[in-house]
Amino acid sequence: MDERVIVLVEDNANDEELMLRAFRKSNILNRVVVVRDGAEALDYFFSRGAYANRSASEVAQVVLLDLKLPKVDGLDVLRALRADERTRLIPIVVLTSSAEEQDMVRSYCLGANSYVRKPIDFTQFVEAVRQLGLYWLVINRAAPA
Amino acid sequence: MSCVYIARRMDDGTSQVKRFRDGLRLVSMVVQAFAATTSDYRRLLDTIARNIAEAIPDSCMVMLRSGELLTLVAIHDGAPDAAERFRDDVNRPTPLREASISAEALARGPVFLPKIDYDALRTQMRPTTIERLRAGDVTGMLVVPLATRGELIGVVWVMRRGSARPPLDELDLEIVKDLANHAALAISNARLFAQLEHSERLRMAEERAVQASSLLDAIVENIPDMVFVKDADTLSFVRLNRAGEVLLGVSREEMIGKTDFDLFPRTEAEFFVAKDRETLASGALVDIGEEPIHTRGGVRWLHTKKVPLFDSVGRPRYLLGISHDITEYKGVVGELSAAKLAAESANRELEAFSYSVAHDLRTPLRAIDGFSQALLEDYSAKLDGEGKRHLGRVRDAAQRMAELIDDLLKLSRVSRTELRRDRVDLSALAHTLLAAHQRLEPDRAVEVAIADGIAADADPQLVSILLDNLLSNAWKFTSRTPRPRIELGATKENGALTYYVRDNGVGFDMAYRDKLFGVFQRLHPETEYPGTGIGLATVARIAQRHRGRVWADGAPGRGATFYFTLMEHHG
Repeated sequence: MDERVIVLVEDNANDEELMLRAFRKSNILNRVVVVRDGAEALDYFFSRGAYANRSASEVAQVVLLDLKLPKVDGLDVLRALRADERTRLIPIVVLTSSAEEQDMVRSYCLGANSYVRKPIDFTQFVEAVRQLGLYWLVINRAAPA
Repeated sequence: MSCVYIARRMDDGTSQVKRFRDGLRLVSMVVQAFAATTSDYRRLLDTIARNIAEAIPDSCMVMLRSGELLTLVAIHDGAPDAAERFRDDVNRPTPLREASISAEALARGPVFLPKIDYDALRTQMRPTTIERLRAGDVTGMLVVPLATRGELIGVVWVMRRGSARPPLDELDLEIVKDLANHAALAISNARLFAQLEHSERLRMAEERAVQASSLLDAIVENIPDMVFVKDADTLSFVRLNRAGEVLLGVSREEMIGKTDFDLFPRTEAEFFVAKDRETLASGALVDIGEEPIHTRGGVRWLHTKKVPLFDSVGRPRYLLGISHDITEYKGVVGELSAAKLAAESANRELEAFSYSVAHDLRTPLRAIDGFSQALLEDYSAKLDGEGKRHLGRVRDAAQRMAELIDDLLKLSRVSRTELRRDRVDLSALAHTLLAAHQRLEPDRAVEVAIADGIAADADPQLVSILLDNLLSNAWKFTSRTPRPRIELGATKENGALTYYVRDNGVGFDMAYRDKLFGVFQRLHPETEYPGTGIGLATVARIAQRHRGRVWADGAPGRGATFYFTLMEHHG
């Protein structure tokens, strides 16, 4: 039986903790795999480096991807994932601070499934995470692996 | 002259006296006829032949001498077919030595043959001429030289045909000599006249040429660009105008006859000469966008055009060059491109700055708000009312700062995005924007007066932000007004539209109108009318980007009108 995980690509510890808190408050119980930069994200998805022995049964149900990341930035992670046969169908939600038009356009052009701006107001933040979880983990049917 | 023979013959019979009188009258008529035709040389010669022939009669030929050649130029006979026999000889020069009778007349004076002995003539005349004379039944003749101003210009032949009338006599000879003198004078005058006329024409043509060329000289001299001409073969200078002298700091006297190698550094001269050869070889204009040249006043930059000037058979004879000094222009272009580079670099920095603000500045705010909320939730039991209220203020401040950041980003985006003009229906846009406000505050009853068909050629996105800001303000500042009203309209001035948004809200004091459009400038406390103070600055920036402007009119408690234009207004 596959384990359906949420992959959170987030370098900011505060945002990471608030995100996990929001998941808990929204009763999202899937395990959340947190990777803290773009390079680590790619290692995870392609089972390299620290993730060389990752279980093959661990399946990313949705990726929450920040754009501004150390080493390899979010857009490059997106490009690499979409270019690879193994990862090109994984649902990817860009979750970021920026509402800059160019960030949105580039994300969608590179194959993001969704673009969500992180609200400042934590109440709204929790609501956004709840709806994301509901949609991508429950309502949406992922492409067969 | 004429009186001589009249006096000499006074004792002859009465018929002779009548002939004198006739001859005298005739001479004066003929002289008048000669004078009248002086300006037409050809006709004069015919007139001479005709008048002499009619006076004597029968035939008269006029022959003119040019060096050792004699040419029959006019012939007249009472019977036209008789003249026709000599028609072929007209205008055909004959060597004088072959015309012995004429030559004798020229050398020794009149030849008078009252009765022709054709056998005796055989030695003196060409057989063809004898044939013609015989055929014309010429029985006697007179050959008289045409002499004037000491010059023998030709001969007149007078011939008596048939034997019906008495042979030519001394009186005829005298009359013909007299007429010949007048004829010679008339011919000489006509020639002089023609010469005069010719030289006058020449003089006038020359004058015109001089005038034309001095105009051209003046033009070339006064062209404010350097004009130079080089010989196509040697490439040495043959001409340089004043602007060229000034530019190079060299007088034309120093320049003429020299080549580029005598005047400029070697590499420069090689370049100039190569372009010269290219021009001459191609036979067409060569345009040299910029070339440096060492002058006595330092290095200048020229934009030069060179063209070949061809001779009558189409070979390049000269090379014409025109050089425009672009040194100052190049300096300005250089400064411009440096300024452009600086602006581009500043833009890139602004871009990077905005990116950083958009991504990084909000993140700590989220932590402030998020963990404040976490405190409120997780430590609710340990916090009293005052503590919870403080945390609420922390959260409000964080959210307020997020709004400020967002509005600042919007303002900077207005400056950063490329302007794309399109037709925008402002009336429709205003309806949509106000409808959104109405949905958010369904309880408010605002009278909306939007004129129909207000359109603009503007960037749809930017003009939407502009109108949204003005209408939001109008909506906001009428919130405490009884019977609020918001109006959108346009007026035309000098063919250009001025748009306006008017409300009957709180208005403002005109003393502060200059502060209205500054960033973070607020005229009302935030507790009464919320806002970041960036909206009108954004409106002004958008109008500026369209080369338009924005201004306002209002009074406290009596509403406000915001005017804006979206293109340059003249006059």
